[in-house]
Amino acid sequence: MREKIAVLMGGRSLEREVSLASGRRVTDALTAAGYRVLPLDVTADLVATIRAERPDAAYIALHGKYGEDGTIQELLEFLGVPYTGPGVVSCTLSWDKSVTKHMLAEKGLPTPAWITLTSDAFKEMGAATALDLIPAAVGGFPVAVKPSRQGSALGMTKVDSAEGLAEALLDALSYDTSALVEKWVDGVELAVSVVGDGDSLTVLPPVEIAPKEGLYDFSARMSADDVDFFAPARITAEQTAEVVRVAREVHEALDCRDVSRVDMMLDIHGRVHVLECNTSPGMTETSLLPMAAEAAGTTFTEVVSAIIEAALARKDSGT
Amino acid sequence: MGTARVVFDRWHDRYAERLAGVRSSAVRDLFAAASRPDMISLSGGMPAVGLVPHDAVAAAARDAVHHEGAAALQYGSSDGRPEIRALITELMAEIGVRLQPSDLLVTAGAQQGLDLLAKTFVDPGDIIICEGPTYVGALQAFSAYQPDIRCVPMDDDGMRMDLLEELLLELGPRGAKFIYTIPNFQNPAGVTMSPERRRRLLELAHEYDIPVVEDDPYGRLRFEGGHMKPLRALDDEVIYLGTFSKIFAPGLRLGWVTAPRPILAKILLVKQAADLCGSNFAQVTAERYFKGTRWRRVLQKLTTTYAERRDAMIAALEEHFPAEARWTKPDGGFFVWVELPKFVDCNAMLAEAVERGVTYAPGDGFYPDGRGKNCMRLAFCYAEPSAINEGIRRLAEVIEDRLELYRAFIAAGALREEEEGAA
Repeated sequence: MREKIAVLMGGRSLEREVSLASGRRVTDALTAAGYRVLPLDVTADLVATIRAERPDAAYIALHGKYGEDGTIQELLEFLGVPYTGPGVVSCTLSWDKSVTKHMLAEKGLPTPAWITLTSDAFKEMGAATALDLIPAAVGGFPVAVKPSRQGSALGMTKVDSAEGLAEALLDALSYDTSALVEKWVDGVELAVSVVGDGDSLTVLPPVEIAPKEGLYDFSARMSADDVDFFAPARITAEQTAEVVRVAREVHEALDCRDVSRVDMMLDIHGRVHVLECNTSPGMTETSLLPMAAEAAGTTFTEVVSAIIEAALARKDSGT
Repeated sequence: MGTARVVFDRWHDRYAERLAGVRSSAVRDLFAAASRPDMISLSGGMPAVGLVPHDAVAAAARDAVHHEGAAALQYGSSDGRPEIRALITELMAEIGVRLQPSDLLVTAGAQQGLDLLAKTFVDPGDIIICEGPTYVGALQAFSAYQPDIRCVPMDDDGMRMDLLEELLLELGPRGAKFIYTIPNFQNPAGVTMSPERRRRLLELAHEYDIPVVEDDPYGRLRFEGGHMKPLRALDDEVIYLGTFSKIFAPGLRLGWVTAPRPILAKILLVKQAADLCGSNFAQVTAERYFKGTRWRRVLQKLTTTYAERRDAMIAALEEHFPAEARWTKPDGGFFVWVELPKFVDCNAMLAEAVERGVTYAPGDGFYPDGRGKNCMRLAFCYAEPSAINEGIRRLAEVIEDRLELYRAFIAAGALREEEEGAA
């Protein structure tokens, strides 16, 4: 009998629907690969169900809060269930875009200039009197304003001038208590999926996201009709090599394992700028990692199987 | 012990395109599913059916089976039993509308009436005019037929006729399939259309040759002030939707629609296709329940109870809510509409409210176009006065927390007070 795999999905994050779609697809793939699959919604009954069912490993198909912020990872560590994807520390670091950028900058990896402000800095310390300093701090407009901890571009705004800054910050701060203002980079938007770690680490072909019009925002991200995807990306071989190198370094710098997706911009001078690293990338029909796998000539089932096998190996090794 | 097991929908990729338009809000679904034992719900418009005497309903149902069992259990006429249609004409006469039983047909709640009307009138892309904000169930019913819904803003006297006229001028004669309005204690705004506006609405409807659909679920739940004649009492051309849900109980799913004969004939055709006929059992039960005068005392009790709850909510709002908030003061019905400063996003704030144990309905759900983000609908119909007070207190804390942040921006000169929120 093959191993029993709990696929964790849903939950109470704002990305619940996307997660259910990812979970469905992962469930189908693991079933096709011959595993015994237990699809689980993250509800108040989760722990009881896991204890009763005793799965050999958990596939984390959760997105957003609780799924990518270390919460579910800590819980599974406690329950002794090996799980897919990066560990607690790595998730906690990657989930916070501001912390991620600090880590990347420290390691000399390229990320756009930014500042971070928390709601307490505004409420208690008068940070709103310093909005005039922001353009100089990040190198001028336009800028992207986004919540530090939130997925799928929720609460994100592109701001072209000082007038829009306050509104955008307030909008971002309704999704998180911390917001970051980041220099806007024009160029080619790329999503680079990384699978495995150590010697088995593979960087999948970069996927280019070309919005049909305007910003690639949450609604477009949820509907493939509004953007064009190119896998592999329409960039030169040298650029691809550089993008792949950076993605690999980001994955390693954040101590990721099994799977991650590094989102970045390739500017008009061919320079790479890392925006963020996702530790539980979307796995739906319109998601980027599955597209990259296809471009690499790998099936979705093979990728998902490789990811779950990595988790199962940790069970066997007791780590 | 429950289980966290997921059961997938095998047919998720087989549904019709039109369903894409009737998707509910992900955020709202999320928090509707969330519950904690001491959650105070100010979001749902559920009648206080606990006040409807169960013995009276049981007696009506027993009577119905004993005396008309065969009819109650059989298929019935598509337009409803003659007896209940006669009862409805009596109820309508009490609010100033003179009808023959053949002028109306019985529907499964007024909600079915909305669906049948849209199915009868609307092709994809057709324009429907409604109040902004308006009843979310109407938006859902209409959306399935892929209309282009235009909203006319309201003030304390209901739909703004100057703005309606502007819109009609732009659309031209017969430029919309119908104008949908809830003139009494509007859902969600709580306001009532003034007699002058009612007359003006009918003038404009005639001038531009567009039917008016009057949805009147709350008309008999007036707490104070004089009864206002329904539009249908002023004009035979008006399509009127009524319901037993608020004067008896929503569980019976009984409503009605009156319309000019040719329109009614079309609606009847559509109704036959939808369900052949309504529930005879429910109709017979309602007929019996409305014999005698006890139902009037129950309705009086319901109205008094809602009035007390309205008072509790208004008092709590005055006590706890910040000075920046504005709210309507309904003379009846179920709902208060709260408007916060433009920059507040009530959808984003719902997560925090749920954490603190109170729910409300974010305002943008009552618009077809994303407006109303800074607004919320509060229902006073269901919770007890003490729970209403506590719920409003919790909600006020959440709003205060958000406003503290906004005030910091305003104090620093980084935000103008009248500024519109992002997105």
